[in-house]
Amino acid sequence: MKTFKFTESLKMSLRSITSNKIRSFLTALGVMIGVAAVITLVALGNGSQKAVESSLQSLGSNLLIVYSGQPKGPSLVRRNTTNIAPALSEDDLEFINSLPESMVLHAAPESSASGQVKYGNANTGATVVGTDTGYTAIRNYYPIYGSFFAQSDINARKPVAVIGAQVYKDLFDDGFDPIGQKIRINGIGFKVVGIMEEKGSSTTDTQIFIPISTFQKYISGSSKYALINIQAANLDSMRELQKFLEDELLHMHRLPSMDAADFYIANQLDLLSTMEGVTGTFTLLLASIAAISLIVGGIGIMNIMLVAVTERTREIGIRMALGAKSKDILSQFLTEAIILSVGGGLIGILIGISAAYGASRFGGMASVISVQSILLAFGFAVITGLFFGGYPAYQASKLDPIEALRYE
Amino acid sequence: MIRIKNLTRYYQMGPTTVKAIDDINLSIGGGEFVSIIGPSGSGKSTLMNIIGCLDSPTSGTYSLAGEETAALSKDMLAEIRNRYIGFVFQNFNLLPRESAVENVELPLIYAGVPSKERRQKALGILKRVDLEGREFHLPNELSGGQRQRVAIARALAVNPKILLADEPTGALDTKTGAQIMELFRELQSEGVTLIMVTHDRDVAAQGRRIVEIRDGHILTDVPVEEWRK
Repeated sequence: MKTFKFTESLKMSLRSITSNKIRSFLTALGVMIGVAAVITLVALGNGSQKAVESSLQSLGSNLLIVYSGQPKGPSLVRRNTTNIAPALSEDDLEFINSLPESMVLHAAPESSASGQVKYGNANTGATVVGTDTGYTAIRNYYPIYGSFFAQSDINARKPVAVIGAQVYKDLFDDGFDPIGQKIRINGIGFKVVGIMEEKGSSTTDTQIFIPISTFQKYISGSSKYALINIQAANLDSMRELQKFLEDELLHMHRLPSMDAADFYIANQLDLLSTMEGVTGTFTLLLASIAAISLIVGGIGIMNIMLVAVTERTREIGIRMALGAKSKDILSQFLTEAIILSVGGGLIGILIGISAAYGASRFGGMASVISVQSILLAFGFAVITGLFFGGYPAYQASKLDPIEALRYE
Repeated sequence: MIRIKNLTRYYQMGPTTVKAIDDINLSIGGGEFVSIIGPSGSGKSTLMNIIGCLDSPTSGTYSLAGEETAALSKDMLAEIRNRYIGFVFQNFNLLPRESAVENVELPLIYAGVPSKERRQKALGILKRVDLEGREFHLPNELSGGQRQRVAIARALAVNPKILLADEPTGALDTKTGAQIMELFRELQSEGVTLIMVTHDRDVAAQGRRIVEIRDGHILTDVPVEEWRK
């Protein structure tokens, strides 16, 4: 019984691939680059998505922010808060604080201004933030050394300051204990009581925190707040809480609607979903670029296989004369195309993983390698081989043996 | 062995029909050594292709070893070629990247013979055609005569009923050509049916029966002794 085994196809294909190593390598290279690109770019896309998510999470959990003024533009990303004209009053804050714990866990006012900070000869720019003791819990951001100022400091309007990690680096020698040292903010003396933990973000780490009352007295001269940070009791009811606060604050400010309001409320959920949408689109974009390069790789395979079929027309004729059936020829050339694409795909996976790893290890980029992208890219490589190798292989199998034998 | 009745093969060349073979009747028995001779364009190659099951007739019947071939599919013809027919070509048609023994193994691959058995059989046949010691050489490391012996060994690999040789000495010098003819006669004495196509009258005279073709018709079909006169 005649059975043309797959192993024979495999042997023939390997022989033809190894007999022209450079060409085979270049052919597989297209798929290699395609697969590697898919894996690396998706990993970087996922990485940036994770990075954005975690930096949003680090703002604090279940965060609502009541801002003064009208929203600028569609983005809810935290604005530079130093130039907001404060419009929120102590009554607003007291109302929010009076809400039961089942609605609001903490609320903290915040106003800020840019300031020039000096210690001895050292001097740096910083954002001076006036707030109260609830801030640390809401923002999940605590002193790493010393302590945050206390309620008594607020009541007494004391000139005390908790400095950001970068401010410490700019003003003091490494290892120097700054607690109790006097720094000057815009010419006013403040006593350092603590250093905040490092967040790795230049906007966060260059802040200096002082009691809100002290801020109002020495820096803004206004009794209003630029914004109020609120930690909602639970994530699921954040949108309801936002709506409730909007209605109540409109009523308190005697305003008809949010269009005319002198405040607006940003919701961390919206922020998250906006950013996820943006980074998701980004990942999709990267993946499509990568997919295109995979298709280009497939076309490369098709091109070479068409050349190979033409070049080996005579060989095909000889094989047919000796008894090869159409499917034997088909399987020989298809196997060759699949070996090239699968081989290229496997090497591409290794390159892709190394590149993604290298980008995060040495390039400081966040990358998250996803198993799906590996499977997807590899599966696509196999399909590429089948699809783009299929046509030339079919052409080969349909050759007329007489014509093929006569081919020079 | 071969029974051809009222065989025609027409080609359509644009508006004109070319009658490459026109109503040929021919029977060849087992163990014969037949030379088919004719000038180029006489239709002998077309006849050869049909006998070799590479081509199908336009009309008429062709039975090979009792099997009617005219109605067979491409794949069935491939199977018949593999099982019954050994081809020897003028330019050898060896695969250049495969060694002598691998070339001989080719038809055995398509016959589904397991690799160990295949190798043994191929080595045995190479020995039969006096190529011992050359088994693992590539075609371009062999002389013309040796290459044609590899091709003959390959044709013999599946124990074919018929050995079809198309100008087998065309690319060889007279002396090596004579050696190949010697080998053919030996094979005939062992019971192989030989059909050789040539335009060379001296080569054709090596056969035992001569079929002369002109313009798609059989002109003469006589034993070699009679033809020599």
